[in-house]
Amino acid sequence: MALLVGVFLTKTPDLKHESIKEVMRDAVLHESNRISLFGIMEVNPGFISALVVSVSLLLFAAIIRIFVIPRFKIMPGRFQMALEKLVMFFTDFAKENSPHRYGFLSVYIFGAGTYIFCGTVFELLGIQAITTHGSPIALPAPLSDINGAIAMGCLSYLVMLSGGFVESRLKGIGKGLKDFSMPLSMSFRLFGAMLSGVLVTELVYYYKALSFVLPVFIGVLFTLLHALVQTYVLIILTSMTYGELTEPTNKKIKRA
Amino acid sequence: MNVPLNIDWQQILLHLLNFSILTLGLYLLLFKPVQKFIKERNDYYLGLDKEAKEKLSQAEELKASYEQKLNSAEEEIEEVKARSAEEAKAAADEVIRKAKEESDKIIADARKAAELERTRILEEAQGEIVALAVEATEKLLAKSTSDTLDQFLYAVKEE
Repeated sequence: MALLVGVFLTKTPDLKHESIKEVMRDAVLHESNRISLFGIMEVNPGFISALVVSVSLLLFAAIIRIFVIPRFKIMPGRFQMALEKLVMFFTDFAKENSPHRYGFLSVYIFGAGTYIFCGTVFELLGIQAITTHGSPIALPAPLSDINGAIAMGCLSYLVMLSGGFVESRLKGIGKGLKDFSMPLSMSFRLFGAMLSGVLVTELVYYYKALSFVLPVFIGVLFTLLHALVQTYVLIILTSMTYGELTEPTNKKIKRA
Repeated sequence: MNVPLNIDWQQILLHLLNFSILTLGLYLLLFKPVQKFIKERNDYYLGLDKEAKEKLSQAEELKASYEQKLNSAEEEIEEVKARSAEEAKAAADEVIRKAKEESDKIIADARKAAELERTRILEEAQGEIVALAVEATEKLLAKSTSDTLDQFLYAVKEE
């Protein structure tokens, strides 16, 4: 009913300056809609999103560090418990998947998990930015930018290789290089998953008739769901491979 | 070089730098302090647990020593009891022995007194009998006639 009322009460759509094909293509490639980074260079909107998410998270963390953590109690309150659960979740996750070496891994997956989840949910806010052409654009999820997804995939792979190197030097790197397709698969999986949400949302919003009520379910649920799923997929892939690469060799076990 | 899919190495590096700074910041501002607090709390609880275990072991040691003392006290009590019983028995035996001696003495004295009394009575009775016999003889003699004496003498002569 709300959908029908919305359709009939609004004007017929004006001619849009972009076709659906162009909108979709731009959502994937960001070729035309670029944003100036402090006048230094033009970047994809995804990078601006990444900066906004990072600064917001760091500010939030700083506020917690200054005002909340010094007041932590032995018997925790709700917020303290939530923070402790969050930290313990990533620590336990790393410990479970990589029992031999998990210190650095837990920090990495904490950062990556927080970034992917918050970055994905960030697109729900619909923060507007002005492109270099002067048109407004809603900032997308940072990882819906292929450059961001590649960066995250490659960094995760580097983290795994570093774990292998620390544990077994060149042999560890050799073991890691066997899965040479992993950075590519991780990057494009992340990119594809993030992009699916963006494309569905773009599609829904492009047609006025679909932009009532439906976005509440499609946009929010899709975003929340794939935020959780992608966070989980990346951290579990990273943790498991890191765990495999940091397993002690037979010689070390015998010596121990 | 025009890379397909709008891949831009500069932006990849910028994303890497951004994410690295974010992870470092989150680690220093959030992860490390929270983990440190959790560790401190765990240490606190472990300390409490250790302290409780030490106190428990001390209490168990005390309990064991008290039980040992209790056992030795019970043994001591048993010994004292046995000793007291022996002493009581000895004392009772002594009392009984003395009582018996005394009773024996009393009986002996009584017997002796009775004997003396009997002797005295017998002596008195003999005296009385003698007196009576004398008196009877005298009476008989006084009553007796010469016939009687003659008959007596005659009889003695016939025999």
